[in-house]
Amino acid sequence: MQLAKYVKFREEKFGGVLFDTLTEKVYTLNHAAAAVVREVRAGRDVSQIAARLKDSFQDPAGAIERDVQALIGELQRKGLMKDTQA
Amino acid sequence: MSQTATGSDHAGPAPAASRASDELKAPLYVAWQVTNECNLACLHCIEESGPGKAFADELTKEQVFDILEQIVDQDVPYLSFSGGEPMVHPLFFEMVAYVCERGVRLKVETNGHYLSAENCARLKRLGVKAVQVSLDGASRETFNRMRVRGDFDRTVEGIRNLRRAGVSIEINYSPTKFNAHEIGAAVDLAHELGSDSFYTGRTMYTGNAVKTWRNLTPSEAQYETLFATLHQKSEEYRGCMRIQVHELGLLEELRYRLRHPAALLIVLPNGLVKLINALPFVCGDLRRQSLGQIWSNFQRAWKDPRVSEFVDALARDHRMTSILHKWVYL
Repeated sequence: MQLAKYVKFREEKFGGVLFDTLTEKVYTLNHAAAAVVREVRAGRDVSQIAARLKDSFQDPAGAIERDVQALIGELQRKGLMKDTQA
Repeated sequence: MSQTATGSDHAGPAPAASRASDELKAPLYVAWQVTNECNLACLHCIEESGPGKAFADELTKEQVFDILEQIVDQDVPYLSFSGGEPMVHPLFFEMVAYVCERGVRLKVETNGHYLSAENCARLKRLGVKAVQVSLDGASRETFNRMRVRGDFDRTVEGIRNLRRAGVSIEINYSPTKFNAHEIGAAVDLAHELGSDSFYTGRTMYTGNAVKTWRNLTPSEAQYETLFATLHQKSEEYRGCMRIQVHELGLLEELRYRLRHPAALLIVLPNGLVKLINALPFVCGDLRRQSLGQIWSNFQRAWKDPRVSEFVDALARDHRMTSILHKWVYL
């Protein structure tokens, strides 16, 4: 996975923003979502991201991998993220 | 430079749903009018640009690249170059290269008269995100009437050159009394030319339009027909070309911006920074202040009572926009 080429990510105090320069829409991210985007940019897949984020975020229900998958799915549906092969 | 209801050629980043722009560390979008010089003298030009209209105090090369460096350092993701006509600026291609090489997504807003095959290939090589061309009409007759000294065929050929070079194309269309009936044909033409987006909105009473208003402004009935056609065309081209229509009147737009300032700085050719094109207020000077300082001023300036007072006055008299170029420093 990777960010679509027209999407820019910037870290902010509250987490981060994704700026879709195609539609000029801005999406705000909380700290957890920003961390996921950071990991995607580093080339990691869902299970690698979940494993790494377990160290930084509480996951008492063991839901982190599902949450990561859900966020990535949403970003893909919005066209902000693409499969690397695409 | 053309105009839409936002008072500029660009929609600007919509404020994020859950965050105010004052929580951002830097602007998300810098719209830079790089020169007031223009090869055309359009009837509706919001900036009163034209031949010989460059400001006497436009930025030096050193100042230009100092600002670009700050834009890159502050991680501003999106930048546009407009004018006047940005492609007549002697440093234009150097500026484009500087920001594109450093990962900033750049849009160029032009009248299309300098889009030779060679220049389009160069823009493609440099990696511009898109080139927005003003095409106010679907025929030579209306376009050339509105864009004094302009040439419809040359503009269309420039757009075709962009397409051949593989550069993303956006079309901007300013409606007037004498071109409003061509809106449907203009959208079709934009699609035929390979445009990805089509922008339009209400023409604003400012700049050159103040002098030409009586012969220029469409009637409300014309606007109604125009917007209805655009809605129809939006459906027709769904998935093929985005049609972005700013239907809000200027007043509604400004009232919205008072509550939700866009994370957008408007930089004038001399380095002054405006809150928004449709207001006369200046919140900084990039010749004397850093981008960071001006970003802080920008947040404060939107809350200055003079801004909301001006918007209230505009509600009583729409002709207040005729003084947008008499800058008020906040």
